Amino acid sequence: MAKNLPQTGIISWITTVDHKRIGIMYAVTALFFLLFGGIEAILMRTQLMVPNNDFVTGSTFNGLVTLHGTTMIFLFVMPLSAAFFNYLTPLMIGAPDVAYPRMNALSYWIFLFGGLLLNFSFVAGMLPDGGWFNYANLSGPKYSPTHGIDFWVLGVQVVGLASLIAAINFFVTILNMRCKGMTLLKMPIFIWTTLVTQVLLILSLPVITVALVMMSFDRSFGTGFFDPEMGGQVIMWQHLFWIFGHPEVYILILPAMGIVSEILATFSRKPLFGYSVMVYSTCAIGFLGFAVWAHHMFTTGLGPWAQALFSAGTMLIAVPTGVKIFNWISTLWGGQISFTTPMLFAVSFIAMFTMGGLSGVMHSSPPIDYQHQDSYFVVAHFHYVLYGGAVMALFGGIFYWFPKVTGRFMDETMGKIQFWLYMVGFNLTFFPMHFLGIQGMPRRIYTYAGDQGWNLWNLMATMGAYITALGGVLFFVNLIYSCFNGKRAGADCWDGRTLEWTLASPPPEYNFAVDPEVTQLDDFWVRKFDATGNRVEPALQPEIDPATKHLPNPSFWPLVLAFGILLLACGPFFDAKGIWLSVFGLGVMLLGTYGWSYEEA
Amino acid sequence: MEILKKSTWRDPLQRLGLGWMAFSTSVFAEGSKQAKAFDEVEYQLRATLESPMNTIAGLTEWARGINHVYGITTLVVTLVFLAVSIPLIMAIVKFRVPEGTDLKQLKPPKQVHGNVQLEFVWAVIPVILLLFIAVPTWEAIFEQPEEAPEDALVVKVIGHQWWWEFQYPKYGITTANELHLPAETPVFFELTSADVIHSFWIPKMGGKKDCLPGKDAMNSMFFVTPAASEIKTLGGEYFQGQCAELCGSSHALMRFDTVLHTREEFGRWTQVHNQPPQVTSALQEKGQELFAQCAVCHTLAGTPSEEQEKSMLALGTPKQGPNLSNLGSRKMLGAGTRWNNQRNFIEWVKNPQSIKPGATMTAFGHLSEEELLALSAYLMQSTVKKI
Repeated sequence: MAKNLPQTGIISWITTVDHKRIGIMYAVTALFFLLFGGIEAILMRTQLMVPNNDFVTGSTFNGLVTLHGTTMIFLFVMPLSAAFFNYLTPLMIGAPDVAYPRMNALSYWIFLFGGLLLNFSFVAGMLPDGGWFNYANLSGPKYSPTHGIDFWVLGVQVVGLASLIAAINFFVTILNMRCKGMTLLKMPIFIWTTLVTQVLLILSLPVITVALVMMSFDRSFGTGFFDPEMGGQVIMWQHLFWIFGHPEVYILILPAMGIVSEILATFSRKPLFGYSVMVYSTCAIGFLGFAVWAHHMFTTGLGPWAQALFSAGTMLIAVPTGVKIFNWISTLWGGQISFTTPMLFAVSFIAMFTMGGLSGVMHSSPPIDYQHQDSYFVVAHFHYVLYGGAVMALFGGIFYWFPKVTGRFMDETMGKIQFWLYMVGFNLTFFPMHFLGIQGMPRRIYTYAGDQGWNLWNLMATMGAYITALGGVLFFVNLIYSCFNGKRAGADCWDGRTLEWTLASPPPEYNFAVDPEVTQLDDFWVRKFDATGNRVEPALQPEIDPATKHLPNPSFWPLVLAFGILLLACGPFFDAKGIWLSVFGLGVMLLGTYGWSYEEA
Repeated sequence: MEILKKSTWRDPLQRLGLGWMAFSTSVFAEGSKQAKAFDEVEYQLRATLESPMNTIAGLTEWARGINHVYGITTLVVTLVFLAVSIPLIMAIVKFRVPEGTDLKQLKPPKQVHGNVQLEFVWAVIPVILLLFIAVPTWEAIFEQPEEAPEDALVVKVIGHQWWWEFQYPKYGITTANELHLPAETPVFFELTSADVIHSFWIPKMGGKKDCLPGKDAMNSMFFVTPAASEIKTLGGEYFQGQCAELCGSSHALMRFDTVLHTREEFGRWTQVHNQPPQVTSALQEKGQELFAQCAVCHTLAGTPSEEQEKSMLALGTPKQGPNLSNLGSRKMLGAGTRWNNQRNFIEWVKNPQSIKPGATMTAFGHLSEEELLALSAYLMQSTVKKI
C-alpha cells in the first residue's frame, strides 16, 4: 500500500517519513503552540498590571501559570529544538535520513496529540492549575478533584513519550550515520549539543514517566504514593520531578548553545574558538546537570549537608558555562562580524544568558535561596536563561536556516525590528522582576495589595510584555510574508561552514546525491580557500533524478499508532467507563504496530 | 503586500514611530491628569524602597547573615558580568565589518582555533570566585539549629488553605494570621501543614521554609527576634509575612502579620489574650447566642467552644476554621486580605468567597443586618487596650 501514496498534497505530509518534512511540521506546530503560550503570558501580565485587579480569577490565573510554563517548555522550546534536530542532523552529518524514519514520524504525531490533549483543557473548561511542577499533594484527587490536573499529567506523559522516541532516534543517527571522515571530534558543534541533549533525554525522561504513572494512579485509582494521609510523601514527587526537571533545563539550553555557536562562527568568518573545550564543557554541563536537582528544594528542609553538597554541585556548573561564554566572545574577537538578524539574536544570547546564568549562581547559595525561592527573582532568573537565552537563540536559528528550508530569506528589516522589540520588551519585562523579588513579591500570586511597593515594576513589566507581543506578531507576519515573497536564497547563502550549505535550498528529498566525505572540522569552509588563502569555490552537491535513490516509503502506520496512544490516554477522563476507551486505544496501538511490522519500509 | 516592500518601509516606519510617540505622550498626559504624575511617581518610588516584604532589610542575625552572603554574591556576579560584557561590546564594535561589504571578496581573518592557556585561565578564575561565594554560604547553612535551643520560645506554625494558625504550647494560646513575638528572644518554629504544602516567610526576619503535610514531615526555623529598639509604634511593630508556595486558588491571599512586642508587653499579651469577650449589652448577648453556630468550626478561648474543640480533637475531627479569640485586636481580616473593621467583617460573614475565592467557610448571607451587627459586637472585641 505504502508505495502508491502520493508525493504531494496533504496525504503526502500525513504519511511522510522524510526528516525534513517532519522537521518543518515540528517547527510549525511548535510555533503554533508559541501563540498559545504567548497569549497566556499576556493575559497573566494584564492581570498583574495593577494591584487588586480582577481581570481573571485566582484559579484561572493558576491555570494560565501552569499552561504557560508547560506549553513553553514541552510544546514550544523542546519541539522547536526537535525541529532543528530533525531538519539539520542528517544534513550536517551527511546522511540520507535519520536512522528510524517511521519512528521519527511516530514521535511527531505523538507530540502533536499530546499537545492537543493538554490544550483540550481549555475546551473542557478545566484548566490544570497546579503549576508546571504540579507539586503533590495539591495536585492529588482531594485538592484537585476535577479532571484539570489529568490533562496535565496525561498530556505531559504523552509528549514525554514523543521526546523519548525521538531521542533514541537521534542518538542512533548521530552515532551511526555520520559520513566518511566525520569522526566525533569533527562533528559540527550543533551536532554535539544535540547528541548530549539526547543522552539527557534518554536518562531523565524515564524518571518523569514513572513519576507521572504514580501521579495518575494516585488520581485514578487512589494509590496514595504522594498522599500523606495514606502514608505517602509529598517530597518524593519533588525529588522525582526535579531529577527530571533539572536536566530538562539543559535539554532546553544545550541545543540553543549549539545554534549560537554555529551562527557566531559563520558571521565572524572564524572557527569556533576552543572547539574541543566547548565539546567537553557541553558534556560536563550534561553530566553535572544530573547531580544538582535538589537546588530546587533548598527550602523543603533537606538538612545542612545535602544543602551544602547540592549548592557546591550547582556552583560547579558555572565553570564549564563560563568557559563557553568566554569562548564565544573569543570567537567574535578578531573576526569579520556582520550583523545579520541571526547574528543579532546570537550575540544577544551571550549577554542575556550571562545575566540569567549569574543570577543562577546567586541561587546556588541556599541562604540566598531562602529569600529568593518562589519569589519574582527566580522568575527573572529563569526567563533570562530560557527566554533571553534559549528562545532568542532559537529565533536566531530560524532566521539562519529559513533560507535553507524554503529557498528564501526572511525579511531582514522586519527581523531587525522584531529583534529590537524583543530586546527592549524582554528586558523591560524581566529586569524589574529582580527588584520585585528583592522586595519579596512571591511567584504565582494572581493579585497583590497596592501598598507593597510592587506597583511600578509590575506596570513596567506588563508594558514590556506588550512590546514583546508586538515583536511576536511581527515575527509571524515576517514568516508568512517571507515564505512567499522573501528574497531568493542560493545553496550557500550565508557563506556557511557545514555540510547542509553544500545542498540546494531547499534540499532535494534524497539529501546528498554523492556521499559526502570530510577530512576536518568545518570542512566545507576550509575548502573554500586554497593553500595561499585565495578564494576557490568548492563543488556543491549535484542534483540527480530522485528515482535513482532508494528512499524510505511513506507510511500511515505511525499516525495510527500515535492515535491509539491518544485514545489510551483519554480513558481516565471518562472515569470507570473510560477503561473501555483505553482498551480500544490499546487495540488501535496493536493494529498500528502490526501494520507497521509487515510494511515494506 | 506592497506596503511591506523594503523601499516603502522607511516612510511608514517613521510614521509608526511618530504615532507611537504621540500615543504614549497622550497616555502619560492623561495619566498625569488623573494621578498627578509626579506625586504618583514619587509615591511609587518611596513605596518601592519601603516595601513591607523587603528581603534586603533584614532585622535578625539570620536575615543579616543572608544579606551578607547576598551582598558578596551580588558583588562577585556584577564583576563577572562586567568581565563578560566589556570584551563582548569591544568585540562587536571593533571587529564589525561595515554594512554592505562584499565578504566573499574579503580575505578571511586569521583562523584561530583556540588557545589552551587562555581557556585554562578562564576555567580557573571562576573556581576562585566561586570560593568567595561558597565559604560564607556553607557557614550560613550550618548556623541554623536542627533542634530547639532550651531557652527558645516554641511556636507551632500550621499552614491551612488559605490562612495561618500559630500555637504557643507554653501559654495555651492559639491565634490565626497574627503572630505575636517578644523582642530579643530566641524563637523556634515548628512548621507543618493541615492540607497542602505552604511556605512560611517573613522576609525581614529571614528566609522561608516549607510547611509540609504529614505526621513525620515537620520542618523547623529558628531566629532571635530583633531588639526592642526596632519597635517604633505603640502596640507592637508589624512585619508582613506571606505564603510562598502555590497552594491553590487563593494562594495570593495568604498573608499574615508578625507583631513584635517588648518582652513586658508580650508577657501582658499572653495573660489577656485568652480572656473571653465581654457580654454587657443585649446586642452582645444576641451575638453570643449566634456564635453557637460559628462554634462548629471556630473557637473562642474561655467559652464553651473551647471544650467543644477538645472533644472534637479527641474524635480526630479538628475544627476547620481559625481560632477567633481576641479577633477585634487583629489588624487584618481573611489572612491579610482586608482591613479588620465592622463593615469588612460583615461582608466577610455574608459571603467569604466574594473576598477570598475558594474559601471553605459557609456563607451566612441569610443572617439579618441586626444579627450581623450583634455578631460583630460580640466577636470584634479587643483586649489590646490592656497591654
